[in-house]
Amino acid sequence: MSRYRFGPGEIPVMVKVGDLKVGTAGSTLLTLGLGSCVAVALYDAIRKIGGLAHVLLPDPSHARSPGPPGRFASSAVDALLTMMIAEGADRSRIFARIAGGASMFENLAAAGNASLGARNVAAVKESLERARIPLRAQDVGGGFGRSVYFRLSDGRLLIRSIRRDDVIL
Amino acid sequence: MIDIRELGTLQLDALREVANIGAGHAATALSQLTRQRIMLNVPQIRVVRLEEVAELTGVPDEAVAAVVMQVLGDLTGRAVQVFPGSTAQWIAEALLNRQGISFPDGFGEMEQSALKEAANILGAAYLSALSDFLGLLVLTSVPSLALDMAAAALTSGYLATGQLDEYVFCIETLFRVDELRNPLHAHFLLLPDSPSLEVILRSVRMA
Repeated sequence: MSRYRFGPGEIPVMVKVGDLKVGTAGSTLLTLGLGSCVAVALYDAIRKIGGLAHVLLPDPSHARSPGPPGRFASSAVDALLTMMIAEGADRSRIFARIAGGASMFENLAAAGNASLGARNVAAVKESLERARIPLRAQDVGGGFGRSVYFRLSDGRLLIRSIRRDDVIL
Repeated sequence: MIDIRELGTLQLDALREVANIGAGHAATALSQLTRQRIMLNVPQIRVVRLEEVAELTGVPDEAVAAVVMQVLGDLTGRAVQVFPGSTAQWIAEALLNRQGISFPDGFGEMEQSALKEAANILGAAYLSALSDFLGLLVLTSVPSLALDMAAAALTSGYLATGQLDEYVFCIETLFRVDELRNPLHAHFLLLPDSPSLEVILRSVRMA
């Protein structure tokens, strides 16, 4: 896997595990090493305002403390929407793309349960539906990690993995 | 609510001693298996926030080998071991007595199996030292391996059972081998479930 090369004037903005960030044209939001986690990318293509969250878990019932909204599918979508609208995005134009939700250690999921990755994906989709945000594209599941680079000048969402060619959503 | 941060330097030193005993046993086993003199030591034990774990081992999207085991018995939880590419490569070469295994592309069934074996020895050694120290039964499940981006393997490993713990014990291990000038690194992460964490905290407070 070669290093991602940022273009001239492209400003990288790192979204850490459980975090979320919003930006405008010129920035590239990125998050590295999603396993069972899900990246939620929202975009207003006219205003070129985008938001990216690195979701860890479906909801706070799985955590010892509630923590920041980006951690959970149940709160990340609404938090991103609020921040994007504050930046000037038009809610009616915002659409979503998601990536991640892999199952890295097959034999660890409790018997009979869906993997955490699959549950994260389902929870993110539910939150998007509840917020009436259309899901345009997805690259989810499998048994490998992903990194996501979301270029806000044109909305390109690039997904890299170690043993797979780049995917553009 | 119990908090792992309650541990002071003295308590962490006590746990580090326990880990060093485990490292000693693992070194003996690995030396016998590879017919090389291997020294293992634990320079430090840290208590780390989960979100920081991915950065602790280096670059979040760098390829590493991660081995996850479930901890069973009187103590329950998960143990995640992280081997940087150079360490994984050396372990596979030493155990298979072969040179030039590239990481991660050269890791087929045999190489992965060798790595799991080494992780099993290390994990069992650390946990049996802890088990002796606490006077409790500690067992491990069959190891599960992923060769992938550090952050992806780590977050998925510690979240595998769908529970988010705030802090983990991070035991850094250094491998010293005669043929190598610089030591190799590995990290052993222990994520005890709440009741087990309480048992560990109670024991080290008395230590």
